[in-house]
Amino acid sequence: MKNLLNFFIEIGKLKRMPRRGWVINDIKNPESIAEHIFRASLMAWVLGSKKSGLKTERLLKMALIHDLCEVYAGDTTPYDSVLPKNPKDRKKFMKTWPRLSSAQKLKLSKKKHEKEEKSLDRLLENLPFNLRKEIKSLWMDYENGLTAEGRFFKQADRLENFLQATEYWKKYKKPPQGPWWEWACEFFDDPLSLEVIEELAKQFHKKFKPKA
Amino acid sequence: MDEKIFYITKGKLQELKKEYEEFIKLERHKNTGEAPRAFESEDLNPEFISFQEDMSFLRSRILELNNILEHYELIKNPPKEQKNIVGLGAKVKISVDGKKDEFIIVGTLEANPALGKISNESPVGKVLLGHKPGDEVVVSSPIKTVYKIKKIKYEIS
Repeated sequence: MKNLLNFFIEIGKLKRMPRRGWVINDIKNPESIAEHIFRASLMAWVLGSKKSGLKTERLLKMALIHDLCEVYAGDTTPYDSVLPKNPKDRKKFMKTWPRLSSAQKLKLSKKKHEKEEKSLDRLLENLPFNLRKEIKSLWMDYENGLTAEGRFFKQADRLENFLQATEYWKKYKKPPQGPWWEWACEFFDDPLSLEVIEELAKQFHKKFKPKA
Repeated sequence: MDEKIFYITKGKLQELKKEYEEFIKLERHKNTGEAPRAFESEDLNPEFISFQEDMSFLRSRILELNNILEHYELIKNPPKEQKNIVGLGAKVKISVDGKKDEFIIVGTLEANPALGKISNESPVGKVLLGHKPGDEVVVSSPIKTVYKIKKIKYEIS
């Protein structure tokens, strides 16, 4: 029980860790990583139940564990490696989506994965063997899209992120919407996710008329 | 389970077939209570080796692989006269509002936008398909983004 309690204490840190994407955009009282996990889990469950054949239990467990690695690895954003230090330059830079070379993309992706895996292993090291293996394999599935649940949850996770970005934009006029829509149109490919972003466009951008 | 067609490259197909055979072998070992000797393939992702005890993952992955292997279509190099048109497997150099980038158009299974692998079912993937170098395409979204196609190359393995 001692090891389980320590695990619960460690993951509790996520309740107080603000999401970095909002911090670099100077959002007041930004949501925590745990708050993101909460809505991502509900979105995965509710949206996942509209698709046939997905295992809800696997989806929900994946949602709950997908960002546990951030307890020690912290939260990263695609801007991190290229973000100017000067606040003025930074603000200007964040108006566009960062375009990196293929080599840079590969390097950053590998580095992020390794850092997060190391952090997750550290978090799980004193847990019972079966629990440790289950969490690790769910995380690998999420990372690599190995099953239908893994692939769908990746979309649901980013939908939550996109919704939050749009809500902040509506309230604070930041983060800029341009890079988010640019990214979204390259990222989302699941028909249900595409339906969600179409609805998001209708509700938050009233003047927008989608092309038939 | 999805019953859609999975568009995959020949390389990916070989990788998946090998993984499927290894996992079936492993499941058989587990069901008969024998300790598996080891994965015989050295090419198999070493990360998978640590999943030996996770039957739930093993079953999900076997079902997934089975589904893919029953519903796949190979991505092939197009005929010479279509090599300057964006299709599945194309490596596309683009400029987005003046910034350079490079995508490979893949099926949903191999999509990984963080690595520049864009799904043919994403709005950007869909809109690029069928276009040639010099074409400018606009994605339907509340924020207008123009993608200018610079160069197309096919290097499908």
